[in-house]
Amino acid sequence: MTASAQPPRTAHVIRSDAEAIAVAHKLAARFAVEASVRDSERRLPVAELDEFSASGLWGITVPKAYGGAGVSYVTVAEVIKIISAADSSLGQIPQNHLGVLDILVQTATHEQKRYYFDKVLRGYRFGNAFSESKSKNAGAFETRIRFDADTAQIDGEKFYCTGALFAHIVPAVAVNEQNQAFIAFIERDNPGLSVIDSWDGFGQRTTASGGVTLSAVKVPLSAVIPAHKAFDEPTADGPISQIIQAAVDTGIAVGALEDTKRYARESRPWIDSGQDHGWQDPFSIAAIGDLEWRVHGTEAILRKAGQAIDAALLDANEDTVAHASVVVAQAKVLSAEIALLASSKLFELAGTRSVLGKYNLDRHWRNARTHTLHDPARWKFHLIGNHLLNGVNPARHAWN
Amino acid sequence: MNALTQPVVARLSLASSQHDLHHARSLFDSTVGFVRQQASVSKDPFVISRFGDVHIRIEVAAALLERAEALLDAEQDATEIRVAIAESDLASAEALATASNAEFELTGRRTALSGSLHDPLRWKRHLIGNFRLNGIHPSAQEAV
Repeated sequence: MTASAQPPRTAHVIRSDAEAIAVAHKLAARFAVEASVRDSERRLPVAELDEFSASGLWGITVPKAYGGAGVSYVTVAEVIKIISAADSSLGQIPQNHLGVLDILVQTATHEQKRYYFDKVLRGYRFGNAFSESKSKNAGAFETRIRFDADTAQIDGEKFYCTGALFAHIVPAVAVNEQNQAFIAFIERDNPGLSVIDSWDGFGQRTTASGGVTLSAVKVPLSAVIPAHKAFDEPTADGPISQIIQAAVDTGIAVGALEDTKRYARESRPWIDSGQDHGWQDPFSIAAIGDLEWRVHGTEAILRKAGQAIDAALLDANEDTVAHASVVVAQAKVLSAEIALLASSKLFELAGTRSVLGKYNLDRHWRNARTHTLHDPARWKFHLIGNHLLNGVNPARHAWN
Repeated sequence: MNALTQPVVARLSLASSQHDLHHARSLFDSTVGFVRQQASVSKDPFVISRFGDVHIRIEVAAALLERAEALLDAEQDATEIRVAIAESDLASAEALATASNAEFELTGRRTALSGSLHDPLRWKRHLIGNFRLNGIHPSAQEAV
């Protein structure tokens, strides 16, 4: 696939939170139809993404002052959840695009905001070239940026570049001599930028989360923002990156539970149950009840996480940002747990026939297992406990 | 008082959930107070994570209790309210059990809890599942 540097058509501009939710439901119903086929054939969702960004959903967080709807993060999480319940690869692809929009809000000049927000409202998609698989840890970068009088040059190698293959502009993170992180907005057809379709993970198969190489890529200084400022001072950027992760996993759980009920209804009765139908089995019924409250509990906490982010955006300080990180961490733990539980219980409650290849129901578990690895839930328990027990605020970075 | 409606009114109560959640919170607070007095223990990464776990169960219970309260206040469909209360009850009971286990593990003490033979949680899971899976309303189940 070769991506063009421009969107094929102009995007609709969404005006309100309610419209965003309604559009998400409509799109999700369409995306659900071939989600399983796309997964089993690893058919990249090129046409679907054009429809997705043309719907206006990729521009909903553009501030009102720049012509967007500036929707709440309760709405952002709900939109990502709804799309992910239908196809979690499609739900994941905008995650870095949305993260980048907030870094623009936090660190770009007025002219840069006007320039990039206008493009986003017209349907331009940002990918990402952030993570590096060979650096010491997730927060360490070896990709370098060198500044001249009027250009910047970027050199490095990236991986887990979800969305880059489908993007019109690829924002890349690179560090200067002082190890400060910048983001350079690189046009998709810029010389020196190569996007490699090398993602062959067993889950989230159509996210094209592969590699990007940057060799002597040159951009004007106007295409560079001082991203490190989003973390030098307390901002909601970390919680914003995280809530989108939690929303994808919550969506996977919702989709898996729907399929669990659908296939459990058709299951055969167990011989010892004395029932005529599988759906009359008291143990299966209670197991569904258990999944139901856990999904609803996760959704309720996801909402609270959105509210905590909205509060931190309104008044960013050490306390509001720490609180947002703590609530988002709760959503992260709960969504990871229920996505894995529901996608596994599906088979227990639907019976052996549900593992047949023709149903491809294992995609829910493969997607849950793959996407929940983004950052480990075990450290979220620690983050929350350390805040409560020892009064330690969460470290500020894109994973908290 | 109508013999048929009286028990239904009783079941539309959030008292059980409120009680368990309150109890879970006070166990959490007393356990935190106990551990804070031992400087070395409060830096143990596994102890720290244990509090993170208990806190998550308490917060999810609080969120589902709020949700049930909102449905009750809005006088939504009686079945939706019943199901939401059952969900809230289950979340609060899990929060309490998690807090109680952490209390025992970290302090060596165990505050006595009440049993659930009278209004058992296991049948609340069944009530939720039978409505969401089979569309069978709680009142119809009770009639049987």
